[in-house]
Amino acid sequence: MMMTVTGVGVALPGADSAAALATASRPGDAVEPAAVLGKKGLRYKDRATQLGLCAAQRVLTDAGLLADGVLTVDGTRTAVLVSSNLGNVDTVCRVVRTIADEGTHGVSPMDTPNASSNIIASEIAIRWGLKGPNLMLCNGPASGLDAIRWGAALLRSGRADHVVVVGVEPDNEIARGLVGGPLVDGAAAVVLEHAQAAEARGATVRAVIGAHTRGLDVAGTIGELAEVESEPAAWYAPAAAAPALSQGLPVHDLAAVWGELSGALGVVQCAAAIGALDAGADGPMWLVAGTDSDDGVATLVLRPPVPAVQPAAV
Amino acid sequence: MRVPIIGVGAVASVGRDADEIFAGLCAGRGALGPMRGFDSGLYNGKQLFEIDDRPEGTDRTLRATGFLLDAVAQAAADAGLGDDLSGVPVLVGTGLRELRSAELWWRDGAPFGVDRLHFGTALRERFGTADTLTVSNACSASLYTLALGADLLALGEADTVIVAGVDSITESMHGLADRVQPNPPTALRTLDVNRRGTILGDGAAAVVLRGEHVKWPGGRLWGRLRGVGMTCDAKHPTAPDPAQVAEAMRQAHRLAGTRPEDIDMVMLHGTGTPLNDLVEITAYGEVFQEAAGRPVLTGIKPMTGHTSGSAGLMSLVTTLQTMATGKVPPLVNLDEPIEEAAGLRLVRAREEKHEVALAQVHGFGFGGVNAVAIVEGS
Repeated sequence: MMMTVTGVGVALPGADSAAALATASRPGDAVEPAAVLGKKGLRYKDRATQLGLCAAQRVLTDAGLLADGVLTVDGTRTAVLVSSNLGNVDTVCRVVRTIADEGTHGVSPMDTPNASSNIIASEIAIRWGLKGPNLMLCNGPASGLDAIRWGAALLRSGRADHVVVVGVEPDNEIARGLVGGPLVDGAAAVVLEHAQAAEARGATVRAVIGAHTRGLDVAGTIGELAEVESEPAAWYAPAAAAPALSQGLPVHDLAAVWGELSGALGVVQCAAAIGALDAGADGPMWLVAGTDSDDGVATLVLRPPVPAVQPAAV
Repeated sequence: MRVPIIGVGAVASVGRDADEIFAGLCAGRGALGPMRGFDSGLYNGKQLFEIDDRPEGTDRTLRATGFLLDAVAQAAADAGLGDDLSGVPVLVGTGLRELRSAELWWRDGAPFGVDRLHFGTALRERFGTADTLTVSNACSASLYTLALGADLLALGEADTVIVAGVDSITESMHGLADRVQPNPPTALRTLDVNRRGTILGDGAAAVVLRGEHVKWPGGRLWGRLRGVGMTCDAKHPTAPDPAQVAEAMRQAHRLAGTRPEDIDMVMLHGTGTPLNDLVEITAYGEVFQEAAGRPVLTGIKPMTGHTSGSAGLMSLVTTLQTMATGKVPPLVNLDEPIEEAAGLRLVRAREEKHEVALAQVHGFGFGGVNAVAIVEGS
């Protein structure tokens, strides 16, 4: 059973496509959700939710799952997985401070949905009627690649035919205080499908999902990967992981460009790698999220799409 | 699917382990009490179902993490796994992660970092496992991770998986509910005409799942997981939709290869909010039709409080104990059932004896995330 990526959505400062992401050397202007989604329905939604919606709209459109704002596939067979660590931390901290200062009459009931961390995943489901499994992963530095892994697992288990995976982190004073620096304030997304399902609806395969591993350290997890995958053509990995990687190959440390990516990292890596593959880069791409000083390291391989087999001439 | 469940663990306001909790529930002993960690002068609702582990009027960080480690250690010990869980994935469902610690960090300057907002860091330190997952799926989170755990085994990616759920109450969640409840509930009254809302509780629960085809060295078999359905309303951020709640039940039966008339007991989500209980019982009636009067119905939240992300697994652990003992804990505080529950076999006031071979467990959450598990006794 071959799993594939059939769409990429990017909503990063100054980058609105996989191609722009793959070539960006620094962030540009902030993402303006109202310009992407229209103003309607954005009021009271937190920044992370708005950014997640932008990436989701772009990926659904890019994958051909959305045409003229209408879903082209069965919403009950479409799952949503969102990865974010800091998503609603600002709302939670702001509310507790307001309660201490003014009592509960000072807080706004409009914050209630945002107090639940899964607000991003549920708002994406609501906007486009995606009624399949809906999961919010808040799993630390490796969370974005974990989301790709579990998205593929939902396909393999037969729980969904299409999976929308979004990685998003907002930038604000509270999130900066927790992670110790500025965050990306953006999102990226991919759509995952079975190769057969993609072919059946005429979708363009952008990458094939290879093996994944999760373990205690970088050297061990990429060692496991090397047992089942052919040599990488390039790495997408945090700078701190670089010493453990095979030398002489390009290493793309996306945090150096975008700031702290946290739970968005793995998904942004996928989008950037596919942007590079689209532009003709050699594969496979090996993705690493998490370092030896984190709770775990996740890896994932993305291979270039397999050329369609031409029928033999008769 | 018949996934063996070979270990259980739990901690809640009513008890510090699964047996103590079950004994308390069967005795009809709830644990609602004056709030201990928050300043009661700030709230209309001054009662919570807290785990009593700190001096009154003070709070500290990482309580949820502590509850989780307790529940996982209990379940691992029960399954004979010991404290080294390297190679055993641990999947944690939670509504509020360590957001209470983030609150204390922001408001009071308590030491806290982003590496402990999810539970992987503590699980690795304690049990040596690097394959961990924190899923923040509101109040159905731990039934969602139950589904993921069963899927992981079915895909052959692991031989043994620990699935857990945990939450400690955050002041922001309690405060936002309190804001719109000038007359807050003094008791949690599932399905009662006079129910006035839910009351939050601390808790953690864990179960150990073993692959169906993995050779098993023996030990206790609590029961077998038959299937978990999961759906999303895709309708409203906080109000539940009966259509997708019903669909989660139907999906669970399809996956389990069972029928509503096979069910002996339904463990309700039963939060005690006007809307949840109405939607839940309406969807139940729609799915069960003429079989609706057959199983007994109960729930644990009137005694444990709404333990959010851990609630689904807490209900599952209780269900397994009912299957083992034939004792069904009652829906305390249920004096006058709503009209929609007329003719149903609600277990009220006191424990009942009932042989349960197949049960259905509910978990529904903010964001319209619905999960329903079907479990059979050993």
